[in-house]
Amino acid sequence: MKRLAFIILVTISVINEVNGQGHGPLYGLQTPTLAKGGFDFNAAAMSLATEDDQSFMLRYIWSYGVTEDLQINITTPTMVNRLSEAPRTRGNNNMPANGDIEASVWYRFFSNAFGVGKRFESTAILSVSTPTEEIRSGINVSNSIHGAISTGYASRTWYAWVGCGYQYYFEEGNDQLGDLPYVSLVVGYRPNIFMGDYPKPDWRIFVESLAEFPGANISEGQLTPVDQRGKKVMLGPSFLGLYGAWGISFGALFPVYQDVTQGPKEEYRLSMNISYWL
Amino acid sequence: MTIFSLSGVMAQLIKVDQEVFGMDCAPCAYGLERGLKKMDGLESVRVSLNDGKAYLKLASANELTLQKIQEVVKSNGFSARNAEVALKGELLKEGNEWRIKVNGETFKVSDDTTSDILSKLNPGNIQLKGLVKDEEDGELTGKWNFRIIEIL
Repeated sequence: MKRLAFIILVTISVINEVNGQGHGPLYGLQTPTLAKGGFDFNAAAMSLATEDDQSFMLRYIWSYGVTEDLQINITTPTMVNRLSEAPRTRGNNNMPANGDIEASVWYRFFSNAFGVGKRFESTAILSVSTPTEEIRSGINVSNSIHGAISTGYASRTWYAWVGCGYQYYFEEGNDQLGDLPYVSLVVGYRPNIFMGDYPKPDWRIFVESLAEFPGANISEGQLTPVDQRGKKVMLGPSFLGLYGAWGISFGALFPVYQDVTQGPKEEYRLSMNISYWL
Repeated sequence: MTIFSLSGVMAQLIKVDQEVFGMDCAPCAYGLERGLKKMDGLESVRVSLNDGKAYLKLASANELTLQKIQEVVKSNGFSARNAEVALKGELLKEGNEWRIKVNGETFKVSDDTTSDILSKLNPGNIQLKGLVKDEEDGELTGKWNFRIIEIL
C-alpha cells in the first residue's frame, strides 16, 4: 500500500512539473524524430520492483530536432530509491532504467510516407552514458555506450515497431558490468472512438514486449558468478494520450520468462511519462 | 507596361489545400500547424489528421510560394503531395503552352486540363483553381504542373 501511495505521489509531482514521453511506445524502441528545429521535454516516473526491493526514479529528457531526421537528446535522473541489486535493463525506450546520465543521437535513415497518416521508417540510435553512482550491484560502474536500431510502421489506426539494441559498459577499477543485448517488439492500435480529428484528444494502446540478455559481470578481473548470459522476456500494456502539444503515457511490464544468473528476479516495471512539445 | 507591372504585383496564391502524407498523431499536426503559422502572408491555417491535409487561406497581399509551404511540410518530417491551389496572376501563352507566374513560381497548365476549360483561356489577368501534381520533396524547383479545374 505504501508503495502504491508513493507511486501516486511521484506521478502527481511529475504532472505538476509539466512532463511525459514521445508519441510512440513507452518501453520499446520507436522511430519518430522531431521536426527540424523542434524542441521536446519529457519527464517520467519510473519504478522497477524485484523480489527484494523496489526502485523509484524521476527522469527528464530534453530533445532537439537538428533536422527532420536527426535528433539529439540528453536525459538526467533524480533517484528516489536505488536498488542495491539492480537488474540490468534499458528502462524506457530513450531513458536508462538506472542512474545514468545519457546523451543520444537518433538518426532516421529511412522514411517512406506512403499514404494519409501512414509511414514506414527506420531509425538508428547511438548513446553515451555516465553513471551517477560509483558502485552498482557491488560492481564499480563505468561509462557505457549504447547502440540500437528500430524500424516500424505508423498509421492512424495501427502501429508496429521492432528493434534491437546493445549496451556495453567499460571497465572500471578492475570491474566491469556485463553487456546488454536486447530486442523489442511493439504493436499499437487506436480504436475508432479515438479517431477524432485534430485538435481533439488522441488515444492509443500498445502491447509492448522486451527480451533482454544481460551478460555476466566481471569483479576484480574475474567473471562472476558464472560466464552465462541471463534471459528475460517482459510483456505488458501501455497507453498514450495526446492533446495538442501535450502527451501522456503510462504502462507496465511483467516478466513472462526469467532465467537470470545474477541479481534478483523482477516482479514488474511501472512507468508514466508526460511530454511537452515546445 | 503599366498593366503588366500591376498584374505582376497582384499575382499571388489565394488558397492552398496541401495533401500531407505520413502525419499520424496530434503532436504531428500541432507541429505542422505551428510551422505553417510562422510563415508571413497567411490568413488562416487548419490541419486535419483524418484528411491528411493542411488548409491554408492566404492574406490579400502575400508573397508566399507553394515551394515554401511544401518545404515546411518536409521539415516537419512529412511528405508534401498533391495540392489544390487557387491563385491569381497573368496568364501567358508561350508557343502551345499556357503558364502563369506567381511570386517567382511558374504554374504550367498541364495537358490533362479539360478541353472545355482550355478553350476558355485567354491571355491576361485571371483567377484559377487547379490541382498541382506531386513533385519529389527533395527536388522542388518552383515549377509546377497545374491542372485547371475551375476558372474563378
